[in-house]
Amino acid sequence: MITAIAWKNIWRNKTRSLIVITAVTIGVFAGVFSMAAINSSVVQRINAAVNEELSHIQVNNKDFRRSADIQNVISNYQEVVSELESTPGVTKTTGRIIVRGIASTATKSAGVEINGIDIEKEKEIFTLSERLIAGTGSYFESDTKFNTAFIGEKLAKELNIIRYMITPEAITALKNDGIPADVISKIEALQGERFTSDKKFEKAYEKILESGDTKKYGWKIKEAAWSYREGSKLILTFLDADNNQTGAAFRVSGIFRTNNDMFESISLFVPIEELRQLTGMREGTYHRVIARLSDNEITNQATPVIREKLDDYEVLNWKEIQPDLAMMADFMNQIYSVFMVIILAALSFGIVNTMLMAVLERTRELGMLMAIGMNRRKIFIMIMLESVFLSIVGGFTGMAVSEVVIAITGRTGINLVKYSEGMEAIGYSAHLYPTIDSQFFITTTILIVITGIISAIYPARKALKLNPVEAIRSE
Amino acid sequence: MAVVEINNVFKSYHDTEVEVKAINGVTLSFEKGDFAVIVGPSGSGKTTLLNLIGGLDQPTAGEIIIAGHRLSELKPSELIDFRMDHVGFVFQSYNLIPVLTASENISFIMNLQKWPKEKMTARTNELLSSVGLSDRHKSRPSQLSGGQQQRVAVARALATRPEFILADEPTANLDSKSAEALLEIMEKLNHGEGMTFIFSTHDVRVMKRAHRVITLEDGKVVSDQKLE
Repeated sequence: MITAIAWKNIWRNKTRSLIVITAVTIGVFAGVFSMAAINSSVVQRINAAVNEELSHIQVNNKDFRRSADIQNVISNYQEVVSELESTPGVTKTTGRIIVRGIASTATKSAGVEINGIDIEKEKEIFTLSERLIAGTGSYFESDTKFNTAFIGEKLAKELNIIRYMITPEAITALKNDGIPADVISKIEALQGERFTSDKKFEKAYEKILESGDTKKYGWKIKEAAWSYREGSKLILTFLDADNNQTGAAFRVSGIFRTNNDMFESISLFVPIEELRQLTGMREGTYHRVIARLSDNEITNQATPVIREKLDDYEVLNWKEIQPDLAMMADFMNQIYSVFMVIILAALSFGIVNTMLMAVLERTRELGMLMAIGMNRRKIFIMIMLESVFLSIVGGFTGMAVSEVVIAITGRTGINLVKYSEGMEAIGYSAHLYPTIDSQFFITTTILIVITGIISAIYPARKALKLNPVEAIRSE
Repeated sequence: MAVVEINNVFKSYHDTEVEVKAINGVTLSFEKGDFAVIVGPSGSGKTTLLNLIGGLDQPTAGEIIIAGHRLSELKPSELIDFRMDHVGFVFQSYNLIPVLTASENISFIMNLQKWPKEKMTARTNELLSSVGLSDRHKSRPSQLSGGQQQRVAVARALATRPEFILADEPTANLDSKSAEALLEIMEKLNHGEGMTFIFSTHDVRVMKRAHRVITLEDGKVVSDQKLE
């Protein structure tokens, strides 16, 4: 009965209740959706780091990371692998030879970390092969007598392997993309020129286009002008096992694109046999053994177990290798708390205000209820329930709207390509796919109900202080 | 048998520095089945006396005993339960719960007392029929006329068969036809169910039907007439 009356009471002043519910809905939606968007960028970054760059666990010779000396090897590779593979949660392992060197083309050179990899095993652990840019070759699938290297787009740009040219094909692509004819005719003036970096190309087209057109079509023009010659050559120079400088010519097998500029500009992958032969490293020796776990979540449990087994080596998990990622995850929780406090405070003020007005308007009715025998506990519960209902209706609507919008944008993504340069420089994707776990929804629901209850205490206490005789007489 | 005993009751209010004696030594008793009206000019203390009898207010001095309960000995929370169990209220401005239907308003106190559903429904229907509103049981107060609302209020007051009904100016907001109809119903209930009614009123129509007329002036009983 009390519950039914409380529910009916909130619909007495439909406009006011709907305004409060709408405000709560918008507040909850804004909070939850922003959280989902922020969360997605962190989750995507962590997934990218684990799936493309680091995997879950790395085992190195204890001195390797400090000095990167080619001699700091894991000599009993098989033993290390069997210890890893006998650890619960470890699903795959692979070994790498890693040397630091210089990659050069005819015009440029850059410092790189050359990773000799077991191509098939790497495919089982990393998804980097899937990040191949279409039209740039393959992930070590070409049948060639040359040494081959899989390199990042950023490095390819730095080495002038990728350049920007307005070719007849680029013009056709722009026409097909619906770029206005006047923009295309201006761009045609750049035909025949070769730009060795995107910055130089940007400056060139910014000079001839209106600033509005630059903002609107710039990235499409860059995409169309992006040019690469398959099988480009580069020279890798590094020290061999005897600390003598050595090197060899490599053909670019393919170019990958990730969201991490730093990784793209430094990491270079070659087949392990080629690197072993060039460095003269003994068979069975590796610099790093990488292990994949069945789930990110078991990283903290698996790490000490592996560390105990392999105490002669340096065992690091992805959180320890890139502490900024772990910090971001913690930071997310803090942002979440701040967001929730703001949302719940706004919710609370709205409810206190509405319920105070409701109590004030119904003074005579509350007095009558006390007079005819409704005790104070029941009146208190009734006011509390009204507040909780308002919170729940607004909160649940907000969460339902959030759930739908997150589901849609989680599929379609949110394109922040305008900010891609800045975001990718720090390893974050410019395409966000909002996601939030169900625990967040459960926690938010509980917090909304608690806020509703707390917010109702003051108005409910006001109602309890009414004197029935005076309340009945009030207008 | 006295349902209500009022022994030398005083009630004073302090209006700034002046003490206002709203009830000034009233001694009265009401028997079961009384149909009594309290009359008097505005400010004579009618409503205050009704509030004291209903346990809504506490006397400054004196004693009120209802169905063997000394009201002064009851705690505020016990007073609320006491009102629910022993007193029925009818207010001048109906005071129904606007979000409930006529039926729900009538069964409200039975609900608070946790009556079994079948018993509650039967009693609600019986009362709706007694006040001639069986066909309006689903109507909300806003869909009823003033007279109909006051009949629902009477039915609500009667629902749990209290010791007596206190009606403060029940006909003040009604037109004469509705007032007559309401009084007829109350009279019938008084005869039929033996329900005790205590009114405060200025309305001559109520006085005409009363069996007893108590006149208050300046908080004192100046006459107490039993009529045939």
